[in-house]
Amino acid sequence: MIPLPTIFSITEDEIDLNDLLEKITLTSSGAAAIFTGMVRGVTARDNPHETVYLEYEAYIPMAEAKMKQVADEIRLKWDVIEGIAIVQRIGKLYPRTPTVLIACTAAHRDTGVFDAARYGIDRLKEIVPVWKKEVSPTGEEWIEGDYIPKPGE
Amino acid sequence: MNKIKLLFFATIRDRAGTKQMDLEIPDNLTIQELKDKLSSDYPKMAQSMKSVLMTINREYAFDEQIVPQNAEIGMFPPVSGG
Repeated sequence: MIPLPTIFSITEDEIDLNDLLEKITLTSSGAAAIFTGMVRGVTARDNPHETVYLEYEAYIPMAEAKMKQVADEIRLKWDVIEGIAIVQRIGKLYPRTPTVLIACTAAHRDTGVFDAARYGIDRLKEIVPVWKKEVSPTGEEWIEGDYIPKPGE
Repeated sequence: MNKIKLLFFATIRDRAGTKQMDLEIPDNLTIQELKDKLSSDYPKMAQSMKSVLMTINREYAFDEQIVPQNAEIGMFPPVSGG
């Protein structure tokens, strides 16, 4: 059996959705759920503020290993998933620029493929070692998450 | 003695003032003991130690674990990718 396509990478390059989608689409695929996040220049919710840019860094070899782990977890929970792409862009990224992409393909849209992509981005934000520093008009600050991994994660 | 490599990221890197450091530590030190040693040797890092996440050879590590020989130890705050 041909292994199912699984892509995971940390990159400084622009995220190419079409290229990734082509790589995770099988002849049996009929649906892809794609989540992408971008730099928000103006934040209205919670603590309203403006962002000039975000600077991302990663512990690259561990981050790529943890992305593979996220993909493995997706396949354990949703065995209908065909292809998976998980890409995090790092470096200095300005508002409206895509920073992360999770895409899952499946035969049909009612297979759990939306939930699988949602799980992928939620899990990336918990265990993949990437950080961002926010630069605003008034200064700069590292953004810290709040998830503490448990043994085995 | 155990020669380890420490890698610092984000706020921890800022406080340590460097991205990485080679260190000789006693054999069979636990992660908690390593944190205590760093706090006393590098007082600037002490305030980071409560919330720091630690890794051993690219897997999350916990206070009671022993630091293996020639380990690569990562130290960083809770992640904020996406």
